[in-house]
Amino acid sequence: MSTLNATTGRAKRPAQKITLVGVDVYVITEDGIPKFDEYGPFKIEFISNRGTKVWPGYVSPDLMLVNWYRCRFTATRPVTDKDVDQFVSELGKKYLWSAVQKLWNYGDEAGYSKAY
Amino acid sequence: MLPGEGTGPEICEAVRRVIDHSGVDITWEYEEIGLDCLKEHGTLLPEKTIKSIAKNKIAIKGPTTTPVGTGHKSANVTLRKMFDLYANVRPAKLIPVLKRPWDKIDILSFRENTEDSYAAIEHMVSNEVAQCLKVITWPGSVRIAEFAFKWAKANNRKKIQCVHKANIMKMTDGLFLEAFREVAKKYPEIESGDIIVDNCSMQLVRNPGQFDCLVLPNLYGDILSDLCAGLVGGLGFAPGANIGDNCSIFEAVHGSAPKYAGMKKVNPSAVLLSGVMMLKWINEHKAAERIEKAVDKVLAEAKHLTYDAGGTASTDEYADAIIRAMDTV
Repeated sequence: MSTLNATTGRAKRPAQKITLVGVDVYVITEDGIPKFDEYGPFKIEFISNRGTKVWPGYVSPDLMLVNWYRCRFTATRPVTDKDVDQFVSELGKKYLWSAVQKLWNYGDEAGYSKAY
Repeated sequence: MLPGEGTGPEICEAVRRVIDHSGVDITWEYEEIGLDCLKEHGTLLPEKTIKSIAKNKIAIKGPTTTPVGTGHKSANVTLRKMFDLYANVRPAKLIPVLKRPWDKIDILSFRENTEDSYAAIEHMVSNEVAQCLKVITWPGSVRIAEFAFKWAKANNRKKIQCVHKANIMKMTDGLFLEAFREVAKKYPEIESGDIIVDNCSMQLVRNPGQFDCLVLPNLYGDILSDLCAGLVGGLGFAPGANIGDNCSIFEAVHGSAPKYAGMKKVNPSAVLLSGVMMLKWINEHKAAERIEKAVDKVLAEAKHLTYDAGGTASTDEYADAIIRAMDTV
C-alpha cells in the first residue's frame, strides 16, 4: 500500500476567481412573506420557503409556509464585504435573521442553487 | 394527462385506452411538461399546464427527464413543490409472474415529498466545499405522519415504522422522529415503531416480509422506495402518488427511458397502476378493481408480457391484452 502511504497532502481543487454577486438571507417572521425595498446595491430576486419559491410568481393557496424564509438579494453593481455588512445591518433593523450566506460566482459559474 | 417525454407519450396513450375501457367517465385534458417543452416554450412547466392542474386538482403524469449535476431543475420536483404534494405514496407488492425469492412483500412507503435535502438550498462555500441544507420542519413532519396513519387506518394496515438517522442527525431526523411519535399517540390501534435507515435497508433485502408501512423523510424515501420496487420486480411495476391537501398527481417511479422512445416496447404497468391509485383516490373503486384484476390476469397468463417481464409484447399489445381481459373479469 505504498501509494497510499506516499500521499503528500490532501486533494486540491483548482482555485477559481470568485466574484461576490449577492446574498441569501434567512429571515424569521410570523407575518407572512416578507416585503423588501431596495437596500443600496442589493435587490430582492426571489423568496423561498422550505425551498419553494413564494415570490414572485404563482404560489399555490395550499402551500404550507413555515416562519423561515430564504431571501435572495442580488447585487446591482460590483459589491464588497463592506456593502454586505451595511446591508445586513439595515435589514436587521426590520427583520430577525438566522443566517446570511454570500453568493459567489466561481469563474463564470454560479456557486449557488436556484429555488424551485 | 401530462404525457411527459421520451417513452411517456406512448405509455400514457396506452394507459388512457385502458382507463377509458374500465367504465369510468373521464374527460382528458392533455398538457405539456418536460424537456421537449423547454426546447419549444423555454420552460419545463408552461403556465397553461399549471393552470390546468390548479383547476382540475388531479393529474396523471408520464415520465420526464432530469439531467444529473448540471442543467435544468426537475419538473417532477417543481410540481410537487408548487402544489405542495407532500405525501408520496409508493406501494411495493409481489407480482407472482415475476419470480422473486420472497414469499410475501406488501410494503407501503410514505415519503415526505417537499422538504429534506430537496429544499434546493445549495452553495459552493469555497472552491473545495459544497453544502446542501437539509430542511426538516415540525409541521411538515407532523402532516406526513398524520397522512400515513390515516391512510393505514383506512386501508386496514397494521404497523407503521418511522425510518430515520436520528442517532447521527439528531436535530433534523430527530425532529422528524419526534413528530412521528407525537402523531402515533393518536393511533393506538396501529402498531408504531422506528428503525434507523441503514438497518432498514439491510432488513429490507434480508427479510422484506416483516415490513408493512414506512414513513420516511424525502431522501431516504426516494432511495428505499426504489429499493422496494426492485424487490418486487423493478421500476416497470412501481406506481406512485403525490398527494396534497387539495391536489394530487399520480406518476410512475421510473424515468423517461429516452433510448426506447418511439419503439413502443416499454412496460406501461407503472403508469397504469398509478392510474389505478388515481381512480381509487377519486372513489372510482369499481373501475380501479377491474383494471387491477385484468392486469393480474394478463400477468398470470404470461402470454402478453413486455420485455422487462420476460415477454415480447409491445406496449400496445400488452395494453390490448388488459383491455380484453377487462371484459372477462
